[in-house]
Amino acid sequence: MAAVKQTVEHVASLEKYKHGFVTDIEQDFAPKGLNADIVRFISAKKDEPEWMLQWRLDAFERWLALEEPAWAKVSFPRIDYQDSYYYAAPKAKEGPKSLDEVDPDLLETYKKLGIPLKEQEVLAGVQGAPRYAVDAVFDSVSVVTTFKKELAQAGVIFCSMSEAIREHGDLVRRYLGSVVPVSDNYFACLNSAVFSDGSFVYVPPGVRCPMELSTYFRINAENSGQFERTLIVADKGAYVSYLEGCTAPMRDENQLHAAVVELVALDDAEIKYSTVQNWYPGDPETGKGGIYNFVTKRADCRGDRSKVSWTQVETGSSITWKYPSCVLRGNESSGEFYSIAITNGRQQADTGTKMIHLGANTRSRIISKGISAGKSTNTYRGLVSAHPKAKGARNFTQCDSLLIGKSCAAHTVPYIEARNGQAVFEHEATTTRLSEDQLFYAMQRGLSQEEAVQLLVNGFVKDVLQELPMEFAVEAQKLVAISLEGSVG
Amino acid sequence: MSVASAIRIRDAAELPGKRDEDWRWTDLRGLIREVPPASAPTGAVGAGPFDALADEVVVVANGEGAAHVSVEPHGKRIVALRIVSRGDGSHAARVSIDVEADAKLRLLESYEGQGGYLSQTQLVFSLGAGAQVERIVLASDDAEGVTVSQAEVQLAAGAEFGQTVVTAGARRQRIETTVHHPGGHAALRLDGVYLLADKRHADLTTVVTHEGLDGVTGQLTKGVVRDQARGVFQGRIVVAEGADRTDARMGHHALILSDRAEVDAKPELEIYADDVSCAHGNTVGRLDEDALFYARQRGIPEPEARAILTEAFVGEVVDRIWFEGARDVVRAWVAARLGG
Repeated sequence: MAAVKQTVEHVASLEKYKHGFVTDIEQDFAPKGLNADIVRFISAKKDEPEWMLQWRLDAFERWLALEEPAWAKVSFPRIDYQDSYYYAAPKAKEGPKSLDEVDPDLLETYKKLGIPLKEQEVLAGVQGAPRYAVDAVFDSVSVVTTFKKELAQAGVIFCSMSEAIREHGDLVRRYLGSVVPVSDNYFACLNSAVFSDGSFVYVPPGVRCPMELSTYFRINAENSGQFERTLIVADKGAYVSYLEGCTAPMRDENQLHAAVVELVALDDAEIKYSTVQNWYPGDPETGKGGIYNFVTKRADCRGDRSKVSWTQVETGSSITWKYPSCVLRGNESSGEFYSIAITNGRQQADTGTKMIHLGANTRSRIISKGISAGKSTNTYRGLVSAHPKAKGARNFTQCDSLLIGKSCAAHTVPYIEARNGQAVFEHEATTTRLSEDQLFYAMQRGLSQEEAVQLLVNGFVKDVLQELPMEFAVEAQKLVAISLEGSVG
Repeated sequence: MSVASAIRIRDAAELPGKRDEDWRWTDLRGLIREVPPASAPTGAVGAGPFDALADEVVVVANGEGAAHVSVEPHGKRIVALRIVSRGDGSHAARVSIDVEADAKLRLLESYEGQGGYLSQTQLVFSLGAGAQVERIVLASDDAEGVTVSQAEVQLAAGAEFGQTVVTAGARRQRIETTVHHPGGHAALRLDGVYLLADKRHADLTTVVTHEGLDGVTGQLTKGVVRDQARGVFQGRIVVAEGADRTDARMGHHALILSDRAEVDAKPELEIYADDVSCAHGNTVGRLDEDALFYARQRGIPEPEARAILTEAFVGEVVDRIWFEGARDVVRAWVAARLGG
């Protein structure tokens, strides 16, 4: 098997991470460690109302009583939660009023990452090019949010979470923690206590959000964790498409990223949430460093005929522990999950989804494509359940795994719980390596071996790439190629 | 912690419960507050379902009886193994089955229960090179009984092991099979059928570990649940590092025929080798309305049409039984349960 051997050798030598630089910038830190005072410190830094502080302290209290979950197929040394900074922010120079006042070092960082923060830059592109608004989160704080004015004209609220807590307290209070309860799980509970920033989106009834919204997360500071909190509410008949991207510098230590994302879709609303996750995956040889990506994402399809669609391209992180889920509460609501998870080097990913059918005639669809190469482990873990009242519930699940190399592993762990006779669930899964026949066929037609492998891998993940918004799909496709550099040419 | 030790030392805290990942849908801990006292001897047990087919009938009644079945090299035997439970006590038994090189065994195993017992049976199979074993399990436990059967199978290169478990469930029932598959062109078939009514529960769990090159595994389990019954299927296929050219297929399909019945399934693949072909399929649903309509259009009354379609659904598994005599017994048993 010359192809596989070459591939394995390539994978070892070619791993590159182009976002691995560090921005040297003056930062404010909270003292290292975690206790009730740190929680108070974060809350005070953000000028939060009393109810928010109480909410955080309550979460911290509960977190102390919880235990770190151990059921995922990932292994890592015990995390010392006291050996980390829970708040790191670029030193603000008297609160920038406009983009001109934002630290040029920061602007440079985002420029390097290819994230357009200046509205005119976005506009300066090709005529008719799609526009998208960005909320840029740097370590613990949101640096800037673009296109706020234009969005406000449509009635859409798009701002950082800290701002939302101050300006739209009632909305935040009504929905925060209503999808992911404070003590839902260990990492979500920790997040509830120490979350620093994140994005808040509210789309009023009947409004179709005029542009794509996006948040770009960047971890920069050493020894710090990032705990962002995102809340998106689509009121009756609203529509919003939201993109999320993330990167971090290359470091020898592991950094914790424990985010919580809550989506609420009321009657007839639709939310499309796409993630391209490219945290630093750690050293491919030694497995040193990289981000621990322990994220809780959940959507509540609260209204009738509401719809939520998750699309994720997971290429980074040393460990991923993430299950974007849909609670299909409204009648005829529907949930979708499209995922590409790629692991290489010594990465470990345990990811999947939960589709919980509660309402009548609810539908869900899961398409998961896992690719493991190098010495990595890639697990799909999913739950599909129908409660006795979910008459006519319908699910289709397809999870395919592709193995490249002798030392990688791919697992599939689906849970199916059907509690009524009117539900129809289908699940199929395959695990194979690249087909020799297909490779041979493609090469016989004149493609080089690397081109042939790339063609087949692209075909393998196509179903999911198609679900991404256009401007992201191109980026994601490139990312797939980079992540598997060596194995896909 | 195990069911066997819970019975031995009479401590309910030893029982597995829903907090144990592998027992999440078969909670014994939450069901049994106190392990019942040891069962008394049963006395005469009458005839078993496979008596007419077997060369030899082996009886284990309330944990007492034979503990060993063996077949010498190149030998051929048909053995009926009857696991009989009577009364409300608790009992455990261990039976070892050694089938030496190139020998052939048909093991016709039946679980026959009456009462509110707690029973555990441990079976240890060892197959020599080129040996062939077909194990048919027909479980007719009591609606009040709690029973756990755990089989551990060690295959050798070139061996062949075929298994079909057919059960009507119990108050709580688990039939578990663990297979160590050395590859080397050894072939494995692990099938199952569960037909559950009332408040019965059945859990078919299998774990197959492929440890060498060129292993083949085929699994097909089908279930029909009605009333408030609950069917559980957990199948795990592990392909260890280096176990290349493994071909493993697993299918689980269930029909839910009432609004309050439940089916839980977890078909797992755990793969550490790359040159493999593994797949699983899982469906849960109701009878195909189109097929039903077709049958009725042809003049077949609805209840009869349902019975025909359900029998055909399960029949696919029954047809895979190698031993014709056992196939007929199982088919009749299935028909009797689906007819009503």
